[in-house]
Amino acid sequence: MKKNKSMIIIFLAPAVILFCSIFLYPIIRTLVMSFFKIEGVTDPIAEWSFMGLGNYINLFKTSLFRTSMANLGKIWLFGGIIVMSISLLLAVVLTSGIRFKKFFRAVIYLPNIVSAVALATMWLQYVYSPKFGLLKSFFTKLGLETLSKTQWLDNEHKFGALLLAYCFGMVGYHMLIWTSGIERISPELFEAATIDGANKPAQFRYMTLPLLKGVFKTNITMWSVSSVAFFLWSQLFSSVTADTKTITPMVYMYSKVFGAGNSVTEHDAGIGAAVGVILSICVVVVFTLCNKLIKDDELEF
Amino acid sequence: MAKEKKEYKKVNWKQEAKLAPGYLILIIWVLFTVVLLGWVFAASFSTTKEIYQGNALKFLSGFHFENYAKAWSGGNVSTFFMNSLEYSIISCVLLIIICAPAAYVLSRFTFFGNKFIQTSFVSSMGVPVIMIVLPLFSLISSLGILNNILANKALLILLYIGINIPYTTIFLMTFFSNISRTYEEAAAIDGCPPRQTFWRIMFPMAQSGLATVTIFNFINIWNEYFLSLIFANSDKLKPVAVGLYGMINSMKYTGDWAGMFAAVIIVFLPTFVLYIFLSEKIIGGVTGGIKG
Repeated sequence: MKKNKSMIIIFLAPAVILFCSIFLYPIIRTLVMSFFKIEGVTDPIAEWSFMGLGNYINLFKTSLFRTSMANLGKIWLFGGIIVMSISLLLAVVLTSGIRFKKFFRAVIYLPNIVSAVALATMWLQYVYSPKFGLLKSFFTKLGLETLSKTQWLDNEHKFGALLLAYCFGMVGYHMLIWTSGIERISPELFEAATIDGANKPAQFRYMTLPLLKGVFKTNITMWSVSSVAFFLWSQLFSSVTADTKTITPMVYMYSKVFGAGNSVTEHDAGIGAAVGVILSICVVVVFTLCNKLIKDDELEF
Repeated sequence: MAKEKKEYKKVNWKQEAKLAPGYLILIIWVLFTVVLLGWVFAASFSTTKEIYQGNALKFLSGFHFENYAKAWSGGNVSTFFMNSLEYSIISCVLLIIICAPAAYVLSRFTFFGNKFIQTSFVSSMGVPVIMIVLPLFSLISSLGILNNILANKALLILLYIGINIPYTTIFLMTFFSNISRTYEEAAAIDGCPPRQTFWRIMFPMAQSGLATVTIFNFINIWNEYFLSLIFANSDKLKPVAVGLYGMINSMKYTGDWAGMFAAVIIVFLPTFVLYIFLSEKIIGGVTGGIKG
């Protein structure tokens, strides 16, 4: 046991020390900042003025912030359903003994290695282009006049267009997590089930899914984390910083703190910090709910 | 195309016919990806005028390599590329060396503070970057690090490592906790000290997890946008994501669509070539030791 103790300390120290300096200290400081009114990020503590919960109350009174939270909720829920189902479907197909599996998997994951800036540009300037876009020529070929003339990036369709493009980029990542989970299930289990007369759908329902509970939790956590940090796509899909169709809390916060926006006139790092705290609480709640609802079985396979 | 494939398989292997719907799904998905990337690739050799006429794939006036020359000289692509490569590789290696032992210890041993560290890591994983950016920004700008190229580079790498520590550790924990304890018990009976058991037995056994997480880290750091946007304020320090954003914006205003697509491909192609090499590694790591 003594040997273990020194090993625990040596193995943990680098990670924990770095974690404390880059995460713990800034987080605590941001948490404190969220209760103060701070005009510039670099202002010394002496210039902060205490607000109590004022920043939070002001935030929820701001309709732009409420809109951004609603957008985030829609991205998380609808995007989550789309991405989780498609990526699980693809992972199951890929592990069903298909040929050219490596090739298919590599291509499906491909969008994830592309810088989001490049990927979003491809969607914006090619797929959704009203002049030479993929959707336009596709629907023209099918003879669907109204669909081919749709302006995919107008205010009515912008959010859907954004969500679709974002989901396309995310599927490969979650597919890999599912696949690695499915592949860790011993093939002997499936062989035994096949001998016992269980067909593929039954095997999926009663074996794969229950054994993937842990992986499902990982997937949901990762999805929530990436949704909360939704920033770049929103920035690229909107011509103005505070576009109500695509604004997310992260964009709102960025414009509040670093003032890159055109509609936000007043800088306030304290408000920015409060948005950060709210988003963090959202993720912790999702994770806690996942842990409560999906019980980990002590299965070793 | 999909139908042909189906019948071809049916003739040869009855088993494969059952998988036909699977093939169909995959082929549709892959086809879309190929069209998306392929068209942009083709358009990057075309001219803006031809793209607008819908003739991007016909190359009526030949291949226009000068799009690339323009995009290359118009921005500091090579600098951005080398920067990204440097940041990603150094950070990834250090991340594995730091996180794998921590993940192993956290998943295997019960000790005071274990649950607390895990909870902190998980909660911090969900913390948006801007949560940590504000205090770091004021701290770093007061230290004057942003004026020194080398110090700024080291700082960026430190930040990339720091923000990926919780994710890497938690991800690897799942892998270590899925490895049966019997290996360590056997090693202990044979007299192998725990520290060596880790490096010699557990570390190699978790290689599929290590490979997967390294790829994810690599991509994350390569495409990292937000921290770089704030902390790399000189063109000499910018990684590809931030560099490309500026390039695309300027191309959009000059109306040079062909040049813009060329810029996208310049940044995409090296990663793509790298990916062909790395994806083989992942697939070998993930599926290694599993038959079929």
